[in-house]
Amino acid sequence: MNRREAISHVAILMGGAFSAPTLLAMEHRDNTAFTKSGSVSFQLNDTQRQIVAEVAEMIIPKTDTAGAKEADVPAFIELMLKDCYRQPEQLSFLEGVQQLQTAGFLTENEARRSEILHKIENETKELMKAYNVQQSKMGDNEDRELMKTQVKGLPFWRLMKELTLLGYFTSEVGIKGSFEYVPIPGKLEEVKLKPNQKIYAY
Amino acid sequence: MNLNLVVDKTHRFDAIVVGSGMTGGMAAKELTEKGLNVLMIERGREVKHIEDYDTALKAPWEFAHRGKVPVHSAEELWANNRFGTLANEETGPFFTNDKQNPYIEKRPFDWIRAYHTGGKSMHWGRQSYRWNRQDFEANAKEGLGVDWPIRYEDLAPWYTHAEKFVGINGHKDNLEVLPDGFFLPAMPMYSPERHFTEMMKKKLNRPIIIGRTANLTKPQPWHTALGRATCQYRNKCARGCPYGAVYSSLSGAIPAATKTKRLSMLHDTIVTEVLVDEKSQKAKGVRVINQNTMEVSEYFASILFLNAGSMNTAALLLNSKSSRFQNGLGNDSDQVGRNIMDHHLGVGANATVEGFEDDIVFGQRPNALYIPRFRNWGADKQPNYLRGFGYQGGASRSDWKRGAGMDGFGANFKKEMTQPGTWNIGFGGFGEVLPNPNNRMYLDPEKKDKWGIPMIVFDAAFGENEIAMRKDIASSAAEMLEAAGFKNITTYNRPEVHLGLGIHEMGTARMGKDPKTSVLNKHNQLHACKNVFVTDGAAMASSSCVNPSLTYMALTARAADFAVTELKKKNL
Repeated sequence: MNRREAISHVAILMGGAFSAPTLLAMEHRDNTAFTKSGSVSFQLNDTQRQIVAEVAEMIIPKTDTAGAKEADVPAFIELMLKDCYRQPEQLSFLEGVQQLQTAGFLTENEARRSEILHKIENETKELMKAYNVQQSKMGDNEDRELMKTQVKGLPFWRLMKELTLLGYFTSEVGIKGSFEYVPIPGKLEEVKLKPNQKIYAY
Repeated sequence: MNLNLVVDKTHRFDAIVVGSGMTGGMAAKELTEKGLNVLMIERGREVKHIEDYDTALKAPWEFAHRGKVPVHSAEELWANNRFGTLANEETGPFFTNDKQNPYIEKRPFDWIRAYHTGGKSMHWGRQSYRWNRQDFEANAKEGLGVDWPIRYEDLAPWYTHAEKFVGINGHKDNLEVLPDGFFLPAMPMYSPERHFTEMMKKKLNRPIIIGRTANLTKPQPWHTALGRATCQYRNKCARGCPYGAVYSSLSGAIPAATKTKRLSMLHDTIVTEVLVDEKSQKAKGVRVINQNTMEVSEYFASILFLNAGSMNTAALLLNSKSSRFQNGLGNDSDQVGRNIMDHHLGVGANATVEGFEDDIVFGQRPNALYIPRFRNWGADKQPNYLRGFGYQGGASRSDWKRGAGMDGFGANFKKEMTQPGTWNIGFGGFGEVLPNPNNRMYLDPEKKDKWGIPMIVFDAAFGENEIAMRKDIASSAAEMLEAAGFKNITTYNRPEVHLGLGIHEMGTARMGKDPKTSVLNKHNQLHACKNVFVTDGAAMASSSCVNPSLTYMALTARAADFAVTELKKKNL
């Protein structure tokens, strides 16, 4: 059992499949791996911001409920990368945005944008495999000091997905539009899910 | 440091209680209710029940980082942050800034601290279990550590006393391994959990029970008299419960003690030393320093209760040197600071549950299932380790977080994320740690903190027994999930967990029969200084595998009763 597996199992228990750095950002179960890398001042320029906003909106588009933009997800993503992530994730995120910029993402039409994102999603599978190998080495390897200096951040697409979901489903419009928001349940009981019933959020 | 020493002879009380947490609160309540004028001294800031629970009623979107841990906070609360979520915006302000309160790790030790009114009682997991008979007898039977000077029967009435006051919900399960107590109505199991319970009974003959927690499911008149109300099933207990449904020093003991009008409290006041009268060789009071103004003063009392938390209580004893106690107060045995114990954490297994798709839950249960100890119990004998463990965990449906690891985006993906995912089930073990004199903390001979108090050094780690037990905790959990027919079973055994992370640290001033090998007698009195009582986790001679707070509270109430009786007889 390595650290990476351990953390991903924690993720299962949490009811999801958040990747290690997001869990680390969320919970910092093991901050030793990243302390040496330090944090850089993170900021997006206008074009980068626009790309992030468009990608977030494609992940969670406006339908009969609000989309990512309306839920202020783009600004949330930038804030989280600045405050809750360290350099490896900040760099891999910027790298991903840069690739989209180079590919002319903003000038493409909806269908072509979708193609680009599907391609990135497929490529990310390989990147995630490499990332997991790296993480497991970091978990097992005695020589963690060396690994720290070479650590590669979680891939851009994974960061985008996680932060878009987190930002949207914890926002006021996201929660109230998607779920029945029950801040004070007042009781605890099992219920049978009815067709088209909204589930509860707290 | 040039300290302004103020000695005010009017600083006199019947009793001084050091610490306002789980046991300090209980000591103050018991002593004031028995007629004593009590001064309670808290080293941290004042937190007022309800009105200072700043984050308790915040919605998810009202946290800038949505309740997650910013890097800056992780660095300030570097030790607390090892636990996971403690440095986030929901609870971070209620945990100690480790950068400003550093400690030294000769070997790594995860020290979780909450310096404020009520201490960690504001944040505890609330799981409350009695020890069983064997827990008190195992040391003697196995020749480990020292024998407990008390048995289950000595503590049983005080368990009841504490359970009634605190308000513990649970079932009477009639298990020898987990004695029943005074319970409020139990919380429900969910359908996959009932299925699991049935399967375990059928396949492994192991009882699974609903957890017993200190949340009021049905407040009794003595609870409502203190302003405590029914649990609202928000499961945001660690932010401070604005309903007082969660038991803490803040919601229960301190209001009860305040009602007597015999409680005085000091905040921001660190007790640096217990003062010993040279003639009588009894404790006469304490020296303190204000953490903000650096002003030093002294306070006096007939009896002292040290409830600073196991590690700080031991540090206080070690720092209280006099001509009689050159090795630290009550430390003739050299056992103060030794035998640090905790419970295992971060080891268990998870699985996915098929079926039950139509079942959801309204409300959030601040509780879990409990799997009582089955190892080295009854006919079971483990070849590789002594003692046993229990599990806590349960079933829940996955939510939108699952989407991060899934393919897809767009309108359909969005809709799918609003629907409940599969049921998952998982259990983590809490394992017993053996007493070992080489697992210790001591005061650094040179390094001091900013108040001029010697810094604490930790030199402790899991031993072979613990490591062997951890392996079995993971594999036995997987075995049970498999026997229940669950899928995608995975085990975990977090390698970065050190002693301390269970936040059940104990053992640094153990009870025992012999003053040569123990620090406290059967009444939690220092063997060598009878008007000083230690009733926090420091007193423990072994650790059991069940959560310890209820036992600490029972010991405290018992010791307070004895102390007042002795005081009235003028024996102290």
